Amino acid sequence: MKFRFTPCIAILALALLPLLLDPRGYWIRVLTITLLFAAMAQAWNIVGGLANQISLGHAAFFGIGAYASTVLLLKFGISPWLGMLAGGALGGLAALVIAIPTMRLQGHYFALATLAFGEVMRVIENVWTSLTGGPGGLSVPFVPPGFAAYSFKLLRPHAYIALIALLVVTAVFEMIRRSAMGYRLRGIRQNLPAAEVIGIDTTRVKLQAAVISGALTAMLGTLYAQLAVFFDPDTVFGIAGISIRIALIAIIGGVGTAVGPILGAFFIIPLEELMNDLLSSRAAGLSQLVFGIILIAVILWQPRGFVTVFVSLKARLSRREAR
Amino acid sequence: MTILEVRSLSRRFGGLQVLSEVTFSVRPREIVGVIGPNGAGKTTLFSTLVGLIRPDTGSVALDGRDLAGLKPHKVAAIGMTKTFQNVALFAESSVLDNVLTAGLLRHDVDRAREQALNCLDRVGLREVAGKLAGDLSFPERARVELARALCTAPKVLLLDEVMAALNHAEMTEIMQLIRSLRDDGVTLLVVEHHMRAIMNICDRILVLNFGRLLAEGTPDRVARDPQVIEAYLGRSAEALRR
Amino acid sequence: MSFIQAILDGLLIGGVYAVISIGLTLVYGVMGIVNFAQAEFLTIGMFVAWFAWAFLGLDPVIAAPLSFAVAFAIGWIVQGQLIARVLTAPSVAQIFLTVGILIVIENGSLLLFGSQFRSVTTSYQTASLSLGPLFVSIPYLIAFAMSLLCGIALWWFMRASWFGRAMRATAQNPAAARLMGIDTALMYKVSFALGVGLTAFGGTVILPYVTVFPGVGGQFVVLMFTVVVLGGLGSVAGAVVGGLAVGVIQALSALFFPIQLQNLVLFVVFILVLAIRPQGLVGASR
Repeated sequence: MKFRFTPCIAILALALLPLLLDPRGYWIRVLTITLLFAAMAQAWNIVGGLANQISLGHAAFFGIGAYASTVLLLKFGISPWLGMLAGGALGGLAALVIAIPTMRLQGHYFALATLAFGEVMRVIENVWTSLTGGPGGLSVPFVPPGFAAYSFKLLRPHAYIALIALLVVTAVFEMIRRSAMGYRLRGIRQNLPAAEVIGIDTTRVKLQAAVISGALTAMLGTLYAQLAVFFDPDTVFGIAGISIRIALIAIIGGVGTAVGPILGAFFIIPLEELMNDLLSSRAAGLSQLVFGIILIAVILWQPRGFVTVFVSLKARLSRREAR
Repeated sequence: MTILEVRSLSRRFGGLQVLSEVTFSVRPREIVGVIGPNGAGKTTLFSTLVGLIRPDTGSVALDGRDLAGLKPHKVAAIGMTKTFQNVALFAESSVLDNVLTAGLLRHDVDRAREQALNCLDRVGLREVAGKLAGDLSFPERARVELARALCTAPKVLLLDEVMAALNHAEMTEIMQLIRSLRDDGVTLLVVEHHMRAIMNICDRILVLNFGRLLAEGTPDRVARDPQVIEAYLGRSAEALRR
Repeated sequence: MSFIQAILDGLLIGGVYAVISIGLTLVYGVMGIVNFAQAEFLTIGMFVAWFAWAFLGLDPVIAAPLSFAVAFAIGWIVQGQLIARVLTAPSVAQIFLTVGILIVIENGSLLLFGSQFRSVTTSYQTASLSLGPLFVSIPYLIAFAMSLLCGIALWWFMRASWFGRAMRATAQNPAAARLMGIDTALMYKVSFALGVGLTAFGGTVILPYVTVFPGVGGQFVVLMFTVVVLGGLGSVAGAVVGGLAVGVIQALSALFFPIQLQNLVLFVVFILVLAIRPQGLVGASR
């Protein structure tokens, strides 16, 4: 592993940030949500960036995770940590279920199929009232604070858990990217028949990426459930609020790079919170409108995302120093 | 003692019979040329052998193993792979990464990298290992593709027009390389339009026309075959006879 | 009997679904792009018609061509300025460009018009004909008739007019079309503008029985995609078949399932078609 100075400083800064913020305050909540979405975008990045399988239905996994741990807690009193693992397994299974029939589909068709799948999950959760509480949503029951119970008085532990989650997902992303699987995915992305002919089991590799991504996303759903304490199907399975948003974050930041989703999240989420705050209901939808415009702008003029701006800035700076 | 056994291979695309009862066998370490006019089915034959296309009828056996219904990656694992006529490199990856990816079939990343560098050495492109594959010239890309196929350690290697767009010196080099590969134990099937090259390096030649195997035999015999001459009316026929 | 009534209603509605979705399949057939923002033009069409009704007193049937024209104009600009730039870009860029357009239009409508629900009232809204034991809802019938007219006009356009044939040529082989002197960039603009115009037209004719609000397009997204995928992406005839089929499926599932599950039936059909026969019922086998 090459030692990189900048990321280490950044991680250190991020790690210290929660300590500086008011543990009951507003900004620590924003930070936690930002870290969570960064992790979700990074998990999406595994299929969207490395495998080039554009999924518009990742909310399916997120929602499965949120419901899995909460239902297990409600009905059997199982700790959310274990529930998270169960959710992860279910998420991985769901990824398999959707990936196997859609494996052969290319680009747009695949995106459509994932979109439909996300909606299927949302409708199922809305309708299966006996299990999920239906459209009314679920509340995570109050439990005396304790680490094992994933229950905390303050927000600070949630922020740290989200930070660790982001680091873990990013580590998984990087490990895949540098490993044999990463090479195979790059081959599959660039020329499928050639990849097959040189011995890559393209189906299996794509499925592996899908399962890893689905499982991680589902586990992040548990984090959300414990943080938000209440959620409903339309929120955790939402196309706009989850599926499109995490893909948007990864793309604006720089799809396919480790830093992209993090950059994207730290740009989008705080900006959104700020705009919603300043403008409130008078300008509902303005923040989304702005993001739509930014997305279009990025696609047209900087398709590799903000990360390229940083890379070229760095290049220009180092050229200046060399002079 | 055959390493590749092809029986009655047939395939239809819509209204066109692209392959028609093609039957032949190849002995280990043979260099077999596959020639025929454009559209004769040569590339389709290669694609069918490696499993990219399913034949309607017929069978392919590699080293005694029946390849029926196997996907290309399994065929590669058993020991047969091909290069693509229009070169199918990973244009956004480095030359080394292109070849390395093929090495992953049998090795881990570090070993695969070593093997990849060896294969690049073999084709004489080690210096450009770090360059982006899409930045190379067409002949260079063809050689990278050859190196990549080599890196899967194949028993049977199918080369689809590796000598297209080469000048005389480059062609001689490739011909040398093909011979040395055979010396190392690889069996090769070579599709080519350069008659002189084919005549020079091949032990045997298969002639395809309209999906059928028109003739088969040593270069001399094939050059004298009246059916082949008729299919190839013109200067190439003259080249065949020389 | 309610079974046959459902099929009748389904066919009438299905005709409209066909018109709404034809644009989607047209755009894919000519440009190879799935326009994820297509349903938003439904919203645009409905809003134009609603305002025409509210301020000019125009019946939606009369406002339909106006909606078409507005959507056509917007589509023309969107294609020329935005879509044209990603025609050769990787699919992730194409997908998210249209997703971005979706976001902009939906939230733009929200900002401009607010989130309240609006509907029109017409004299014939609750009227119906009796056809023996069956009821034919007048709004449905008018919508179907308008869709039929629209379909015939489109059919004539594609078959008989120069533009139509040029578009089909471009769809089949852009390079060859260019060699024949066809301005493919213009064809792309026409196809896209025509496509979204048709969707807007379709939205207008359903205004008598559908409430309009900024998210209305979103309600039709999966439905539209099911129609075109069922019929075969790229096939106009397929969109007709798909539209009728989806209308009937929806009407029949209303008999047996509560409303939430009705949508589920559609989604499942959608996924099944993609998994088993992605080229659709009418599309050519790959």
